[in-house]
Amino acid sequence: MRRTWWVYVIAVLGLVAVAAPFLWMFLGSFKTQGELLRVPPTWLPEAPTTQNYDDLFAKANFPRYFLNSTIVALAVTAGNLIFCSMVGYALAKLNFHGRTALFVLVLGTLMVPGVVTFVPLFVLVTNAGLANTYPGLILPFLVSPFGVFLMRQFFQGLPDDLMDAGRVDGSSELGIFARIMLPLTRPALATLGILTFLGSWNNFLWPLVVAQTEEKYTLPVALALYSTGQNAQNFGLLMAGAVVVVVPVLVIFLAFQRHVTKGIAITGIK
Amino acid sequence: MFIQTTRRRLVIGGAALTATALALTGCGRSTEDSPESAPKATTSIGEGPATGDLTVWAMGTEGENLPKLTAAFEQANPGVKVKVTPIPWDAAHSKFTTAITAQTLPDAAMVGTTWMGEFADLGALDPTPSGIDTSGFFEGANETTKVGDTSYGVPWYVETRLVYYRKDLAAKAGITTPPADWDGLKAMAKAMKEKAGAKYGINLQPGGTGSWQTVMPFAWSAGASITGDDQKEFTFDTPEMQEGLKYYQSFFTDKLAGTDLPPNQTEAQFVSGEVPMFISGPWMAGSVAKLGGDKIKPNIGVFQLPKNKTATSFVGGSNFVVFKNSKNKDSAWKLVKWLSDAKTQAQWFKLSTDLPAVKSAWEDPSIASDPLLPVFGKQLEDAKAPPAIVNWEQVATAFDAEVEKMAKAGQSPADTAKAIQTKAAAIGTGS
Repeated sequence: MRRTWWVYVIAVLGLVAVAAPFLWMFLGSFKTQGELLRVPPTWLPEAPTTQNYDDLFAKANFPRYFLNSTIVALAVTAGNLIFCSMVGYALAKLNFHGRTALFVLVLGTLMVPGVVTFVPLFVLVTNAGLANTYPGLILPFLVSPFGVFLMRQFFQGLPDDLMDAGRVDGSSELGIFARIMLPLTRPALATLGILTFLGSWNNFLWPLVVAQTEEKYTLPVALALYSTGQNAQNFGLLMAGAVVVVVPVLVIFLAFQRHVTKGIAITGIK
Repeated sequence: MFIQTTRRRLVIGGAALTATALALTGCGRSTEDSPESAPKATTSIGEGPATGDLTVWAMGTEGENLPKLTAAFEQANPGVKVKVTPIPWDAAHSKFTTAITAQTLPDAAMVGTTWMGEFADLGALDPTPSGIDTSGFFEGANETTKVGDTSYGVPWYVETRLVYYRKDLAAKAGITTPPADWDGLKAMAKAMKEKAGAKYGINLQPGGTGSWQTVMPFAWSAGASITGDDQKEFTFDTPEMQEGLKYYQSFFTDKLAGTDLPPNQTEAQFVSGEVPMFISGPWMAGSVAKLGGDKIKPNIGVFQLPKNKTATSFVGGSNFVVFKNSKNKDSAWKLVKWLSDAKTQAQWFKLSTDLPAVKSAWEDPSIASDPLLPVFGKQLEDAKAPPAIVNWEQVATAFDAEVEKMAKAGQSPADTAKAIQTKAAAIGTGS
């Protein structure tokens, strides 16, 4: 015990460094603009007010943006979990001609920055008639090269013996994938789920460009719209909006995080 | 001033992003999509009411408030339906350039004055038809719609920069009438520091993003200009430009303006009296009042920029344009014409507090009776914007960086002017 006390000190310092900005954001959402900008800054709101939240929900069609964000993030996450694991499994465990070349190709797309493909992708989506639709917001992100890579690496670590056992017992190939191999990748799926959900939930530029009307805006777009003016910024509203945006992410993380740790404990064959 | 800094940085980031992407897709574009084959430009506006559907983009609070105004337009033209989509300021530039590439533009839109050159160069804008009378606009604002010799769209609302000062502290410093020339401004800053207990006399941005908006007015007042008349060559390395830079630098060398102040605290330092003067736009009156409460309101004073050869300030704001590919151009221009009517402009001021680009709208009592606003109106008579050149944002970044060296590291005005000229020439005007 004596040897590890400093580990806790470091952990606590790290926690403070990570948590302090969130605490500041949370407390800040109850302050007035004047108090937020004051120097020296205050931690606790002097006269706590829910004005920022009132403004936020009164100002705009907030439930609508929330719904849009949820639909898009859940669809993208589900798509990634299904397709990335399928592709990853095929690239790791099935023998077919050109498998390595295909994998290199997938890796290759990882190397191209998203900025470069942004406009061509938008032109593609527009020509397909998907501008200002949910499919336009979801389709381009249903499968990601990073997800494929992650799942492939994880599948590769699982022993082939498991598949052989399944074959001997008469399971179909799809059954081997869905019933034997996939359940074992739960920690990888949890990681992929968290990352994908976060990425989609926070995505700003794509929904901004694809959504041609306010009804298709997602939360980050709406938040930027209502908090940032040309020459003035409503920091209180921004903080309140950020709190509302962050809560679902925390819920998702807590829900998946259990599986990450549990997965590590039960992986593999003895 | 600070907010503008953040936004501008984002806009520039977005610009870089889309510029790269545009360069990469440009070569693959088919000829059918090219701007040249787009419908022909409107030359005049038809008679009769506007009809059909119109889609309009507008940024931030303007986008939020515009539907209230267009409702009146729909009433006057029963056959028309206007759909306004509000766009966040943060990435509006990216949204526009992407939409230009993919041809998913609305019929009309509000656009930032510094984007005009770029959008016109991409062939996206429809030239202003003859039916729109441009003589009623402030000259400086009207200039922002011109790219080369062609005018695209109209100025919609304007802003300009004035010197803000604390009236109570000025009285303490023995200043009864605001200064009118360069020496006077300097003396006032000095008196504020020595007699009124201020840490610094005036808050000037020591370079960094957006500082050109404060520096250029001094250079313009000394007779400098950014480009030659044909807008093809930069003219930064001139004695006039050096004079402007030298005056700006002298505030720092005389310790009347600080390089060691925490950023983004202009309002707070004004309210506390630490730095009782700054140069900024009309929105700052509201920001200062919000921070300082009712106590500070009667003590906010503004005066026009001091005179050298001229007393020129910066004019900003937004323009309203119609896009070349709009299928309902005639009605779109009718909307633009209606928006630039003096009565509509005065009504818009009441909805949004945006200052009208049409001079006669300033006679409306809501503006004329304000204690501060008429001063902005007077300054707008002598206010300039940089020419609408494609690469302006890049040149501005180089300008800001050199001004920072001058203010913080003591680079001489002559070297600064030379360095800006060299960098700007390397970037080019883009035309």
